[in-house]
Amino acid sequence: MMSIAARTGALSPYLRATQHTTKSLLSPGTKELVPVAAPGGIRHAHTDIKIPDFSDYRRPEVVDPNKSSQDSSEGRRVFSYLVTGATTVVGIYAAKTVVSQFVSSMSASADVLALSKIEIKLSDIPEGKNMTFKWRGKPLFVRHRTEKEISAEQSVNMGELRDPEHDKDRVINPKWVIVLGVCTHLGCVPIANAGDYGGYYCPCHGSHYDASGRIRKGPAPLNLEVPFYEFPDEDSVVVG
Amino acid sequence: IIFWLCLFLVISLPILLSLRRGQASVSYAQSLVGAPETHLTTLDNGLRVASEETGHATCTVGLWISVGSRYESEKNNGAGFFLEHMAFKGTKKRPQTALEQQVESMGAHLSAYTSREHTAYYMKTLAKDLPKAVELLSEVVQSCSLNEAEIEQQRGVVLRELEEVESNLQDVCLDLLHATAFQGTPLSQSVLGPSKNARTLTRQDLVDYINSHYKATRMVLTAAGGVNHEELVGLAKSHFSGLSFEYEGDAIPLLSPCRFTGSEIRMRDDALPLAHVAIAVEGASAASPDIVPLMVANSIIGSFDLTYGGGKHLSSRLARLAVEEKLCHSFQAFHSSYSDTGLLGIHFVADKHYIEDMMHWSQNAWMNLCTTVTESDVARGKNALKASLVGQLNGTTPICDDIGRHILNYGRRIPLAEWDARIDAVTPKMVRDICSKYIYDKCPAVAAVGPVEQLPDYNRMRSAMYWLSITIILCSLHSIYECIYNFILMHH
Repeated sequence: MMSIAARTGALSPYLRATQHTTKSLLSPGTKELVPVAAPGGIRHAHTDIKIPDFSDYRRPEVVDPNKSSQDSSEGRRVFSYLVTGATTVVGIYAAKTVVSQFVSSMSASADVLALSKIEIKLSDIPEGKNMTFKWRGKPLFVRHRTEKEISAEQSVNMGELRDPEHDKDRVINPKWVIVLGVCTHLGCVPIANAGDYGGYYCPCHGSHYDASGRIRKGPAPLNLEVPFYEFPDEDSVVVG
Repeated sequence: IIFWLCLFLVISLPILLSLRRGQASVSYAQSLVGAPETHLTTLDNGLRVASEETGHATCTVGLWISVGSRYESEKNNGAGFFLEHMAFKGTKKRPQTALEQQVESMGAHLSAYTSREHTAYYMKTLAKDLPKAVELLSEVVQSCSLNEAEIEQQRGVVLRELEEVESNLQDVCLDLLHATAFQGTPLSQSVLGPSKNARTLTRQDLVDYINSHYKATRMVLTAAGGVNHEELVGLAKSHFSGLSFEYEGDAIPLLSPCRFTGSEIRMRDDALPLAHVAIAVEGASAASPDIVPLMVANSIIGSFDLTYGGGKHLSSRLARLAVEEKLCHSFQAFHSSYSDTGLLGIHFVADKHYIEDMMHWSQNAWMNLCTTVTESDVARGKNALKASLVGQLNGTTPICDDIGRHILNYGRRIPLAEWDARIDAVTPKMVRDICSKYIYDKCPAVAAVGPVEQLPDYNRMRSAMYWLSITIILCSLHSIYECIYNFILMHH
């Protein structure tokens, strides 16, 4: 696109005015002709306006003035549109990245995320014992179960349970039961190795849980919650 | 009294009740077929002689020459125009007064015009004065005196004319359009030439111009009216046998193609009352087969000015809008075609607060031509075009001019019947395809004179040369983005 704006004032040094006063041809005796003043002042001849040479800015296919520009027209347009399209796509991707970076800055920070996981050394927990850890502001029970407890829990009849769940659905490794120590009734912390079912007993309202953390007796409606955990190796578990 | 009244009624009633009352005496089809044939003869030296015998008592006879501002260089731009001024100022045989006296005593009109590719010297006279007319014309063209004193005097006249033409803003606008559209090429030059050349052209320049371009093979002696072709050929042989047909040094001037540049020029002057704006794309050459569909397309857009009485019932959609929204004072769709290129455009005159709207609707009209033109639009355009082609040939001079230009452009006269057949062959699909070929998504050239602040930026006018559905953009962008996103994601 080449554009030239020519105001009569700005170009006056370059335009020669056609104010050539000549003898009148119509009849002798008339006064010398005064140049016709068009509205707005003296107008220079529009034929004196020279369009500048834009060769420095032209694409190679249209530098030659003796060659029609039609042949290269499609090629030039395709090139322009391709460059525009590619830049748009890259631009959108860059914008998306920037925006998502700003938005994700509002999510939990690293230190908070660090607190969200807990790594527990399993060899510290003797068999038959339950250890309590603080995790995400709540008590976490990690229980090292004995063989007797495991087989007892696995043979429980589903029909007896208020919240039926088989033991193997609640544990990854049957030796280890990991549950949240929050009673599903009204949120008190159950006492370990207490109650009628060899599991946990909540002293607030008398809910009895078994060694798999399932509710057996009492007002609580649901089993103790099993969080997400995995065993990165034999001796440790990462919860969260 | 009652008797006379009855008599009057008896006589006039049949005429009043006649079914043919108000009808032309010759039907359109008859007028096409009944048009006299154009005779064409070529002399030994290459001069072509063409005539149409229409049976008028008058005739127009002239020489049409294939030369114009396109053949001039930067140094001698304006020579043709200057020469036109010198042509009737005396020949080697007759001084100016004698020449004028000869012409006046015949009651004839001696005239000339110069355009970018053609020059014409012609005389309108009684049919019986044809021999005298041809003799005078041959003198004017072949032995112009080019008196030095007269040249100096004509300089002032040319400069004065340059000044005067500045107030004809339509011409200024269209000249600037050519200057920017064909920048760097001979077609950008105006016929008038710059004022510098008007001051510095010498007699030798004019002589060189004549010697390089006034060659028999590039000239046509044309006549229309009550003329006899054999008589005309005889006259041509006796007066024009001496026309040169060889070039010095075999330097035959060849026309090289002229590059079109999408560009703009704005001559802003807020003191002027109205703005003249012209927008054009590269059009078809005179001999191109696309000419007829493009002419039909221009008829569909049509023209308008404030004196049109149709109001909101005008057939052109753009004209209706112009009336209802008061968009402009006038507009016209034009197509200037040259031997190998052309300018297809719209020129309008508008008040300074309506330029943007008028430009928007003009380009909208173009887009409609490329996409949604209907059968009824095309039928209307075809009829209007046929009517204008026939209506233009209303006298010996327009017919003579038509013959001259056709011979120079096409090598033969294209008869009305042929135009009619080619117009009939145009279909809406043809109009859409051909308009898309020339208009859709092309860079336009824009020229504007006057209070043009409101004229949109060039990039916006360029964007209005295509239509893009928003949904298409969004869908395509979305799909592209998804592909790229997934692609990048794979690598992370």
